[in-house]
Amino acid sequence: MSIIYVLIPIAMLFVLIAVGIFFWAVKSEQFDDLDRQSVSILFDDDIKKPKEAAQDESKPL
Amino acid sequence: MSQVACFHCGEPVQTGSQFTTLINDQLQPMCCPGCQAVSAAIIDAGLTNYYKYRTEPGSKQTALVPDELTTYSAFDLKEVQQDFVHTSDATCNVSLTIDGITCAACAWLIEHKLKTVPGINSISVNTTTERALVNWDPTIVKLSEILTLISQIGYQAAPYQVDDEEIQSKSNSRKFLLRLGLAGFATMQVIMFALALYSDYFTDLDIEYRDYFRWVSMIFAAPVVFYSAQPFYFSALRSMLSGRLNMDVSVSIAICGAYIASCIATVSGQGEVYFESVSMFTFFLLLGRFFEQNARQKASVSSNNLHKLIPLTANLIDAQGQHSEVPAKRLKIGDLILVKPGEVIAADGELVNGRSSINEAMLTGEQMPVAKVAGSQVFAGTINVDHPIEVKVTAIGQDQLVAEIIRLQEAASNNKPKVALYVDTISNYFTWTILIVAGLTYMVWKTYWPEDAFWVTLSVLVATCPCALALATPTAVTCATGLFTRIGVVAKKPGVFEKLPKIEHVVFDKTGTLTCGSLTIAHIELYSDLSEQRALSIAAALESSSLHPIARAFEKYRDNSILTHKNRNLSGLGIKANIDDGTFFIGSARFINAELNIELPTIGHQAVYLANQANLIARFDLVDEIRPDAAATVNQLKAMHCDVSIASGDSSSHVDEVAASISINSVYKSLKPSEKLALIESLQKRQAVAMFGDGINDAPVLAGANLSIAMGSGAAVTKNSADLILLGDQLSRFVDAVKIAKLTGKVIRQNLLWALGYNFFIIPLAVTGHVVPYIAAIGMSASSLIVVANSLRLLKVRV
Repeated sequence: MSIIYVLIPIAMLFVLIAVGIFFWAVKSEQFDDLDRQSVSILFDDDIKKPKEAAQDESKPL
Repeated sequence: MSQVACFHCGEPVQTGSQFTTLINDQLQPMCCPGCQAVSAAIIDAGLTNYYKYRTEPGSKQTALVPDELTTYSAFDLKEVQQDFVHTSDATCNVSLTIDGITCAACAWLIEHKLKTVPGINSISVNTTTERALVNWDPTIVKLSEILTLISQIGYQAAPYQVDDEEIQSKSNSRKFLLRLGLAGFATMQVIMFALALYSDYFTDLDIEYRDYFRWVSMIFAAPVVFYSAQPFYFSALRSMLSGRLNMDVSVSIAICGAYIASCIATVSGQGEVYFESVSMFTFFLLLGRFFEQNARQKASVSSNNLHKLIPLTANLIDAQGQHSEVPAKRLKIGDLILVKPGEVIAADGELVNGRSSINEAMLTGEQMPVAKVAGSQVFAGTINVDHPIEVKVTAIGQDQLVAEIIRLQEAASNNKPKVALYVDTISNYFTWTILIVAGLTYMVWKTYWPEDAFWVTLSVLVATCPCALALATPTAVTCATGLFTRIGVVAKKPGVFEKLPKIEHVVFDKTGTLTCGSLTIAHIELYSDLSEQRALSIAAALESSSLHPIARAFEKYRDNSILTHKNRNLSGLGIKANIDDGTFFIGSARFINAELNIELPTIGHQAVYLANQANLIARFDLVDEIRPDAAATVNQLKAMHCDVSIASGDSSSHVDEVAASISINSVYKSLKPSEKLALIESLQKRQAVAMFGDGINDAPVLAGANLSIAMGSGAAVTKNSADLILLGDQLSRFVDAVKIAKLTGKVIRQNLLWALGYNFFIIPLAVTGHVVPYIAAIGMSASSLIVVANSLRLLKVRV
């Protein structure tokens, strides 16, 4: 039972980290625009390809 | 032929349109050159992904904006910029409001278009508030170029000055979220230890472990009490300083008292602890208030977003006749300014040169432009429709009519009838009662059993903890607000739910409220052998060169194969143009009479005539169409025993026609804003009055009524002063809102009854020292949960 003297402080540390992450998330405006963040993962991956393609097309002209 | 939808905006593509854009190796149809240019700009920038991931079609590009409007050069002027551009280091920051954002893909599109531009350091677009924050280097790129780039991909951007109130409310809501989140985390932990502590009652827990759990709980509850619960302390202090007691007083006493007592118990090892009650209580209260605050903030941000009414710059004509663009606030009385067609007039003044028609809808609510000749008064914020005019400035700043109307509105909103809120009154008595009972308990116990006095007093405060009472109204209101949002009604001010069920008389403004606020063709009278279709196409082709609201009625009949040339726009009269074989005229009876030398009969309503050189071709009767649900709404209101009237600034017979067709008997015509206010005040002597409106002219009246409702398409000032906003412009939603409000009132009464009943039941037990801590905690939580569950029933209502 005396193991709780070690485990509970560790648990408290985890909670502290979670709270820290939560504060960081709120302060970096992650909760300001909920419609936006949920779909942002869809974009960006292949953004470079079309841009390069567009540049390639424009070069010969 | 089946209808083809524009690939960019989703509007039907009209016959004869030859606009297309190559997207992903496929030619996609476009409805107009505007959409074509925009989609081409998007593809050229390599942003094809926009079309892949968007969830909503883009906004329609109403033709290409004339050159003079796309030049944003005025925004590069130092004097103009100083109002909204913040310079730090060598870079500038600006907030832009962006029109036309429909989904998250738009934000992505704008960000990626601008990120590739050299000189722009950062840009972030928020789709909820429709704003963008741009940081740029003024030595490399100008603000006007940024605005032009955004307009190229189909959005209208304008600098926005974020007002202090909004910055304040934004930082408040973020702080609230922090407090709430922290309370949530801590409460979870504390409840976990509380479960272990409660097991003490059933099995033996070593004192050593019990004390350890108590210390840990105390540490976890500390941030909740010292940080999360702060808003309650400040609110309690404020109310005590103003000589009243609100619920937050007993909330604060309960939180602080229970925490301090629990700390004493923990340190001394004697007595009971209430850490979980304290944390849970705080968390629930914060949750309720957070939802309430969020809903309100969202409504205010979107109405603040609407662009300012008065433009930032004006075209000054100096003594030598030279034009120069100057900031509008530098104008002096007596200055001469040039206002081009389509521009907004920058200051009140007198028209000295030229003639044109002016759309004064912002001031009067009337969509029909008013013809102005030399000597006529023109007002800041109104739009010049057809010809360039020169205006001599006669009033600036606070003396302008717009400012005057805004002041009138503020004055009226200060006199607003104070409807006593249920909870304010009850909580005042309730708090007094609790405090007196707790005080008496302490004195009695101190006299006879001094060692238990503190603990019994505290158990009175905790057990009678006004948790359920405090949650009774906010949870019900939050659920009802959610329901409102779902049906497209925004409750902008608190107290709406109490006022709605009490409404006995509903007053409608006509234009834009009962009617759609835009003209449509109701009837076509043919005078020659031309087909109706052909007559409409010719009329549409003639009108396509005009910005007049009448022209908009013809827009949908446009056939791109008919081309006009030698167009002449005769202000206030009509249009003359050549089509293939001959000259055609379209315009008022007066215009046609003069051109064809004939005598047309005058008719009661708005009509436009089409003629060629020799003959009259057709007559188009125009009406401002009545909203399809107006009649049904009026009937439903009457069924609910509400009186219904119309109060309109319009003096024409159209008001009576509208009233007759939707069976409204009491009609008040040609009223000025001040007369409307007087009317509402006289009605208020007998009944509770709700007022519907949409123009700025309605703003003071809306502020004066018991309850005011603005249409979503109405002017920004109106929405700011209104209690309710109908977003979808559906009148019938108002009836639904009344029903929801009645139900909400019922739920609130049930909640209060339950919460008070629980408290009256528990007080005698607590006073006599019969309530052990876990019973108090369970009782308190159960009573709160029942209140929350009862409120949640509201969400299940189908409307």
